[in-house]
Amino acid sequence: MMAGFLLRYARLPSSLLVAAGLALSASAALAQDVIKFGAPLPLTGPLAPEAIKQQQGYDLWAEQVNKAGGIAVGGKKYKVEIVYSDYQSNTPRAVQTTEQMISQGGVNFMFSPFGSGAAKAASSVSERYKMPTIASTASSAQVYDQGYKYLFGTFTPNDTLTTPLTKIVKAKAPNVKKVAILARNDLFPLAIAQEMEKSAKANGFEVVYFEKYAIGTLDHSATLSQIKTQAPQWIFVTGYINDLLLVRKQMTDQQIKADVVSMIAGPAYQEFIDAAGPSGENITSAAWWHPAAQYTGKDIFGTTANYVKLFREKYKSDPDYAQASASVSGALFQMAIEKAGTLDKEKVRDALAATDVMTFWGPVKFGATGQINSLEPPVFQLQGGKAVVLSPDIIKQGEFKLGVN
Amino acid sequence: MLAAQILINALVLGCLYACIAIGFSLVWGVLNVINLIHGSFIVLGAYLAWSLYQGLHISPWYSLAVAAPLFFAFGYVIQRLILNRVITAPVLVTLTLTFGLDLILNNAMIYYFKADYRKLTLTPPMGSVSIFDVVVPVDRLIATVAALALTFVLYLILRRLRVGRAIVAVRLDRDAAVLMGVNVNSIYAIAFGLGAALAGCAGVLMALIFPISPLTSTAYLGKAFVVCVLGGLGSVSGALAGGILLALIEGVGSAMIGPAHATTLSFVLLIVFLILRPQGLLGRKGFE
Repeated sequence: MMAGFLLRYARLPSSLLVAAGLALSASAALAQDVIKFGAPLPLTGPLAPEAIKQQQGYDLWAEQVNKAGGIAVGGKKYKVEIVYSDYQSNTPRAVQTTEQMISQGGVNFMFSPFGSGAAKAASSVSERYKMPTIASTASSAQVYDQGYKYLFGTFTPNDTLTTPLTKIVKAKAPNVKKVAILARNDLFPLAIAQEMEKSAKANGFEVVYFEKYAIGTLDHSATLSQIKTQAPQWIFVTGYINDLLLVRKQMTDQQIKADVVSMIAGPAYQEFIDAAGPSGENITSAAWWHPAAQYTGKDIFGTTANYVKLFREKYKSDPDYAQASASVSGALFQMAIEKAGTLDKEKVRDALAATDVMTFWGPVKFGATGQINSLEPPVFQLQGGKAVVLSPDIIKQGEFKLGVN
Repeated sequence: MLAAQILINALVLGCLYACIAIGFSLVWGVLNVINLIHGSFIVLGAYLAWSLYQGLHISPWYSLAVAAPLFFAFGYVIQRLILNRVITAPVLVTLTLTFGLDLILNNAMIYYFKADYRKLTLTPPMGSVSIFDVVVPVDRLIATVAALALTFVLYLILRRLRVGRAIVAVRLDRDAAVLMGVNVNSIYAIAFGLGAALAGCAGVLMALIFPISPLTSTAYLGKAFVVCVLGGLGSVSGALAGGILLALIEGVGSAMIGPAHATTLSFVLLIVFLILRPQGLLGRKGFE
């Protein structure tokens, strides 16, 4: 294939080839002072909006590092370059791209492709090449339990989102007994719903309804009518922004009210809050991070407030957990490289594994599998058009309110 | 009571589905073009309603009057300038062309509006009416009436107006229509324009009900496709029958065997129809 490619371009004027050669050698010379991070992302296709968030997070970190002179390795400063590649929302292509970046692209370190599925698929490539890799959007424990040494992740397992939520409802809403769970039949939303079912049962709630809806469902009226007849005091719905907006609209249409309505993963995004308007009031949710958190970290961003400020200056909008996770992944690499004092992959890997540090994202420490185990994800509620953090206590901003009409 | 509620839900949803599908059905029936831009036209109509409401506080009901001529002109021009060049080519060629046009329009919308989901929320909200515990949201009810009205207008155009009879004539027998002095190219453009106008109006109505994003265009297109096959191509009443049948299957199926399988059920029905009754419920060669 390579030979065919060369043959096809052999007819190009030789001056062009010389220029191309010069450009190549120039970039090789520059490469001496640059650390390259590979980031395969679904920049086109259905996952494109998520990829853009990842890109914003990585770019903000790279910009801050380069502004500060770069990453210090053994008395020398290295600039950061993020090498992006579009895998078109196609997981097999994400694996190919990862392999290409490592074997031919000359990247020093890798970020995983988006989500648990693609991150797991690509992790075997990283492992084969002994390439330290941070997954910034993979929460499922199945990604990390493969016995791999080079994969690290900044999302805690799914149950860390549902358990604190259940505890708050149990403590603050003693009348809530019956829970209805409606889940998008998709990897992450379904996994969260199953964790919710477990944690609801463990805390003495009665799960009166548990159903999955198909991806791309345009109408939930029949499902919601059924839920209404069960009269649950707590309605828990998982899905993405479009699903959750539609479900919320149809709940209002059918005059379904409940003491507690929880939705994952829409309310963490400003676009959900904007689009839902007053109907979003008192909806509870949980996410791995929230801009309202107040941590003082040792990373390049320092405090959460400073991170939010820098993000707003660059993108004129508030960051959510997806962007913040991308940024903190970069910051964690930076701290590990500086601590290792070398670009040696093995040593950086060891430094990552030994990470125990406070960041703007929260406390970061990786468990034996490489997945973060130090973070307590915030539970929050939309109150007056704003997300108010209810737990954990150190970043709590307000009290839980009952009643979603 | 649950059964009555599910039945009402399905009837209302069925009319919305018919509204989504009718323009698609007309274009497919008359031009023999599987118009893959249809979904994006609907989304563009939704953005039109959203922009007019956000920017100028124009109620979506008035936006219908803006959308209809605007989309008619848009469709007419696309047909005349682009589609007409390959209209006699095999169906795969026109399919590929409309696929390409859809990619362009959809990506242009992603570029301009971003992929963020937006919502047109009327202030004050319209609420719901309940009759004996059966709840019907007012916006859906109005959209249903509007959908029925649009369907009726199209029926009248095809039935009473000279241009409508010409469209029916071209659909029945292109060659005979040419011999009778019908300007087929112009009729094709008018039919495509009508299809686009119906899509645009459907979009305005859907803006009240569904979240708006360029990413939803494939969902609309998928529904339009199923409704056409169930109801019968090119038939006005067929689209209505197909829409209601699809909504009933989805609603009842979702209540009986769970929402995860409702879509599967509707596609199983599609396959059954394709095998046993490929002309659809009310499909005949030609209009009423």
